[in-house]
Amino acid sequence: MIFRAVEDADLIQQAARGNVESFNLLVSRWEKRVYNYLLRITGNREDALDLAQDVFLKAYQNLRKLDDAGRFAPWLYRIAHNEAYSLFRKRKPETAVDNLEAEAGSAGIAVGGRSVFPIELSLAVAGALDRLTPDQREAVVLKIYQGFKFEEMSEILECPVSTVKSRLYTALDLLKADLAPISARGVS
Amino acid sequence: MNCSPFDLKDYFLKELTDPQQRQVEAHVLTCSACREELDRLRLTGVALCSLRDEEIPQRIGFVSDPVFERSWWAAFWASPARLGFASAAMLSVAILVLGLTHAPAVFSSRTFYSRVEVDRRIQAAVSAAESRQEQKTTQLVHELVERADREHNSRLIAENQAERLQEQNYQLKLGDGAYVTPGAEQGGPR
Repeated sequence: MIFRAVEDADLIQQAARGNVESFNLLVSRWEKRVYNYLLRITGNREDALDLAQDVFLKAYQNLRKLDDAGRFAPWLYRIAHNEAYSLFRKRKPETAVDNLEAEAGSAGIAVGGRSVFPIELSLAVAGALDRLTPDQREAVVLKIYQGFKFEEMSEILECPVSTVKSRLYTALDLLKADLAPISARGVS
Repeated sequence: MNCSPFDLKDYFLKELTDPQQRQVEAHVLTCSACREELDRLRLTGVALCSLRDEEIPQRIGFVSDPVFERSWWAAFWASPARLGFASAAMLSVAILVLGLTHAPAVFSSRTFYSRVEVDRRIQAAVSAAESRQEQKTTQLVHELVERADREHNSRLIAENQAERLQEQNYQLKLGDGAYVTPGAEQGGPR
């Protein structure tokens, strides 16, 4: 008897034929990643969970439209991106951005002049991420935390690779200015 | 700004090919400014990675609901067996159309014969054919015999006439006082 790991492609194929159990297995593999992506771009756990459920429901309903199972991840994150921005549009866009900036201000902590503990570093990172624009933050989340390539990010965000790189490079410069000194103290 | 052959951010983000990465690594060994810049990027990366993924507070799961299930037609159309079904359906339609447009063959009882009757009819047909052939052969032989007789008679008449002409010539030459033997008229001994 030969045992073989069930690939995502197998599950996608079965789920596309209406097999709910296969889709549930697929969800269990991706829900944590999608939830954390949504959490980092919305900054709200409830919103992230609600959006994650909507994302997987839409994915199930549209799974047959996915031509290439190998492109499942960018396709799924594209749905997640659209759902998140749909939520932002439902609320006043300026409010969403303002809230994020206000949260960023409150999350920022003074760490100068002394070594930092991991929890403090995490809070500093959260604050630095919050100070980015939503586009820059999403680019960082997709690249650093989700590990997508520029081409895949371009597909998810529906913008040219040059735009993706521009957002990411600007964000990295800002994060570097904020975090590199803190991280250096934490390491030392 | 840095003097690296490739962007240090691309190196940090792992977007360079292996040879390009090696070039950057060789460069930062000799360039302190680029080395410091790369260190800052790495420290930033370390800081960013301190933010761990959270566990999802509630697992997501779906139950089979007829609302989201495909109709029987959609399920059939998505199945690989649809080609087989389509072929069988087309074949059935073709047979049906053929059956409706072409009258079926009717066999009357008169067209059926017993084995003895069939043998008798075959024997009669063979005898008739043999009889016709024999008649033709007899007629042909008879014609050939007649033609041969006619040719033979003609040849005999012709030979008889030739002999009579020679006799007459011989008699005429004797009357002139010259002796000519038959067959030695041209260049023969005198």
